[in-house]
Amino acid sequence: MPTELVVPEAGTRELSYAEAIREGLAQAMQADERVFLFGEDVGVYGGAFGVSGDLFHKFGPERVIDTPISELGIAGAAVGAAITGMKPVLELQFSDFVTLAMEQIVNQAAKIHFMFGGKATVPMVVRLPGGSGTGAAAQHSQSLEAWFAHVPGLKVVQPSTPHDAKGLLLAAIDDPNPVLIFEHKLLYKTKGPVPEEPYRVPIGKAAVRRAGRDLTIVGSSIMAIRAVAAAARLAGENIDAEVIDLRSLRPIDLTTIAASVRKTHRLLIVYEGVKIMGIGAEISAMIAESDAFDFLDAPIARLGGADVPLPYNPVLEKAAVPQEDDIVAAARRLVREGRA
Amino acid sequence: MAIAPGSRTIAAQATERPELAALSDDGLRVALSRMHLIRKFEETAEASYMRGLIHGTMHLSIGQEASAVGATLELARDDYILSTHRGHGHCIAKGADPARMFAEFFGKENGYCRGRGGSMHIADIEGGNLGANGIVAGGLPIAVGVGMSIKAQKQHRVCMVFFGDGAANEGAFHESLNMASIWRLPIVFVCENNKYGMSMDIARAMAVANVADRAPAYAMPGVTVDGNDLPVVVAAARPAIERARQGGGPTLLECKTYRLRGHSKSDRNLYRSKEEIEAWREKDAIRRLESELIAHGRFDEGELLAIEQAAQKTIDDALEFAKASPNPDPAQLTRDVYAD
Amino acid sequence: MPIEVILPKVDMDMDDGIITEWKVASGDRVRQGQILFDIETNKSVMEVESPASGVIRDLAPITGEPVAVGTVVGWIDADAEAGASLAAAAERTRTTSPSAATAGIDHATSSEKRAASVEGASVAPSDSIRATPLARRAARMLDVNLADVAGSGPAGRIVEKDVAAHAGRAPESPVASDDRLVPFNPVRRIVAQRLTESAQRAPHFFLTAQIEMSALQAALRGPQGLRAAPDRPRASMTVALAYLAGRVLALHPLLNASIEGDAVRLHARINIGIAIDDQGDLFVPVLRDASTHTLDDLAHEFARLRAAVRARQIVPDDMRGGTFTISNLGMYGVDAFTAIINPPESAILAIGRTTDTPVGRDGQVVLRPMATFTLSSDHRIVDGVTAARFIADLREAIEHPEGLS
Repeated sequence: MPTELVVPEAGTRELSYAEAIREGLAQAMQADERVFLFGEDVGVYGGAFGVSGDLFHKFGPERVIDTPISELGIAGAAVGAAITGMKPVLELQFSDFVTLAMEQIVNQAAKIHFMFGGKATVPMVVRLPGGSGTGAAAQHSQSLEAWFAHVPGLKVVQPSTPHDAKGLLLAAIDDPNPVLIFEHKLLYKTKGPVPEEPYRVPIGKAAVRRAGRDLTIVGSSIMAIRAVAAAARLAGENIDAEVIDLRSLRPIDLTTIAASVRKTHRLLIVYEGVKIMGIGAEISAMIAESDAFDFLDAPIARLGGADVPLPYNPVLEKAAVPQEDDIVAAARRLVREGRA
Repeated sequence: MAIAPGSRTIAAQATERPELAALSDDGLRVALSRMHLIRKFEETAEASYMRGLIHGTMHLSIGQEASAVGATLELARDDYILSTHRGHGHCIAKGADPARMFAEFFGKENGYCRGRGGSMHIADIEGGNLGANGIVAGGLPIAVGVGMSIKAQKQHRVCMVFFGDGAANEGAFHESLNMASIWRLPIVFVCENNKYGMSMDIARAMAVANVADRAPAYAMPGVTVDGNDLPVVVAAARPAIERARQGGGPTLLECKTYRLRGHSKSDRNLYRSKEEIEAWREKDAIRRLESELIAHGRFDEGELLAIEQAAQKTIDDALEFAKASPNPDPAQLTRDVYAD
Repeated sequence: MPIEVILPKVDMDMDDGIITEWKVASGDRVRQGQILFDIETNKSVMEVESPASGVIRDLAPITGEPVAVGTVVGWIDADAEAGASLAAAAERTRTTSPSAATAGIDHATSSEKRAASVEGASVAPSDSIRATPLARRAARMLDVNLADVAGSGPAGRIVEKDVAAHAGRAPESPVASDDRLVPFNPVRRIVAQRLTESAQRAPHFFLTAQIEMSALQAALRGPQGLRAAPDRPRASMTVALAYLAGRVLALHPLLNASIEGDAVRLHARINIGIAIDDQGDLFVPVLRDASTHTLDDLAHEFARLRAAVRARQIVPDDMRGGTFTISNLGMYGVDAFTAIINPPESAILAIGRTTDTPVGRDGQVVLRPMATFTLSSDHRIVDGVTAARFIADLREAIEHPEGLS
């Protein structure tokens, strides 16, 4: 399987983000009988967001397993299966429900390899649909990836495109460590070129989606998509933005971000998680500690989720997280006025 | 039958109870050796701790040796166990080397976990001990995953998971028993009910009188036994192990026992009376068994003493080994956070 | 009373100009005489000075469109007024964001910043300088004292381009590598544009002549010295050649002409531009009426022009109206070269170095100080023979400079 980022050739067929994940799962299960998918409603129903689709019919109830509503229990089951030779892929129905599974993910999965002196490994994958925009309100719309990016022993990724959704999934399944994949609900239907053969997108490597000179915009998941759209608009105002799609939060590709900031001298970080104490705070600090600091010609700017549980009302819901307009305005303010 | 000098009298051949009769001499030697190893290990660990040689705290299982040894006596080496924070006994019962255990408690590099885990996270992966657990009920969901793994790989192994009375009130207990039952997993759930959580009497904490009373709620057999009576524990574990191995599903085995020491080293035993502790000391599992064996002429005092002394020597040597072992290098602080 | 900053008239026939760059930002403190902005006329780029000291505001935006002379492009609140107008501005800020006190963390922070920048602009603390890391780095590398730099960022923060401007350099390249990407300064921009036009539009052809310089050298060295008085500047070879060329051009009007549509304008006056390099920039000051002034006058005028170029005080007037150009690279050891015509002229004379060269004289090979002259002509106006005749007359004038005065 290729290990480098595969740039889709022109004419590559398009799949939706959900279909790309499904294809990745199918290919992984085909290639390795230790891989199995389990979670609530992933089997017969095809998954709450339709991701597993017909996998149940293709692979049967022993490879695609419906579980009771027992997030703590199934997260622990993933740990147990992983340490005894299997490669479980656990789907938590909404990323918000990870709160019920925290014990097994944070205290067990993340720490077993270390606590046992390197003697056991936990090659498990947890897929979590997160993010807001569907009117699901406070308990079904959160972006909690920063919590897990804070835990040594875990890996955390966020694909923004169908191509990366498949590639990061396959990389995660291959990884001997526990990997959390935060998918975004609003992205499931987006389409993009996805190569047919299996391939990996390396964990820990960001992608420069657009090269530019005037500022660096860093984001992940749907914010990377919005940042690219914002950059296209900014070009019309003579602001040339470089857009970096993080893809990985832990490990994070500081090298790519720092190189970009050294070039553009301005940094705007955009993320859906609550602004304070989030990944934007971390990236700002990392850059301030790096040698890119001396090349900053303006304060580091952050756009993050508002300090509020996600509201139900659609106007309020949109206002609670950064939108494309917000990114354009923030970039303009940073470049033209030198303000964060 | 041959009469060994000074060992048996005809009067001593009163009928053994079936549980004892079912145990071979070799089996009994192994059981006694292990119980003595556990007792002496715990006493020595306690003494080292009081001398300031051990960092942190310890959860001693003095008084609970019969349940640990009895439950595991008839497991195969490649069967798995999962243990609790009070797991030294289980670890030794499963065949671990006390020397490497002491080294781990002393935080040394050649301890089982390279000094990274300590008492609460002791593990002997090669020996089938998938780890003690610092989280109450932490091992239960993991056991579910181990059971799924055994079934998926079509192995004939059994997973035995230990937990305490307090854990039976954690959500993880209920989720795990439910899933083990619906999927008929090869698990033996062994509850060591020592009457107390930390300070909370089980009678005040639990809605039913015995933990095993909950087994029918999960459609599995539930058995309650005197956990300080080794032959009874073995007799109860045997069918549960067999059932699991034959694909019959899980069993809940409750061993009523008592810990003679406090919850941890900082426990001042304010929640129970000296009289209670003394009463249980009378029922000490090791002396009971030895008396019975002598009474039935299975062994004589000399043989029993030899077993005990051999155990003492092993423990003494183990302690010296641990004291002489090297400390980890701080430069290796972050090794094994991730597997390669 | 606030003082107007207007778009000034800097050229005789100027109606409007384009603001190309502001050197200060709204809210900055400025000094009388400090450069406020650059304007581009159809001749050149000029710097405009501040008419007063105070705080500048309401700067006209840069649109690239011509602005009429006399248009107000900014206001300066002279020092006594600075406080009052800032207080008014702060009041406007406060009333337009009434929810600042109750809004969430983000809102409070940004309005705090806005208020701070408005207040901060009226005070110029001398012990704490606001400057970005990049600006500090630039100051270190360019050996600039930050205390001397006016900041254009919020709250008077010094950003990198402020340091670069202060040091007279171009802002740092976007690529922080060892290469330096130096954007065109206004002079370079104009030169690049005009010479590209010339090279692309005018069909150049070239005539070369090796001319003996001994007579002219002797004349310049001679005790007459071609000087009116000891304190007058001595004529250089280049000035002398301009003088001679001027007289020869009088006989060859097509080489002193400009194309206009499909007609030729034969210029009445002969104004010879002399190409000068100063610190990597090309200037072409013009010796007006070269054919009627004395050599001495020309020498004097040329000295003035050259000094003005070096001091960067040359004005558009001094560079307007040229009808022919001379470029001498001889002092750099260049033997010969072909020059690009300076539009809208029709010809340019390129002069190489004088060097002792073996030539045939009276059947002998002798060494004579020879220089190679290359005339570039615009074939739309000038034909080969026309150019050749000019060269022939020029040779004659140089090789027999009797009566040079």
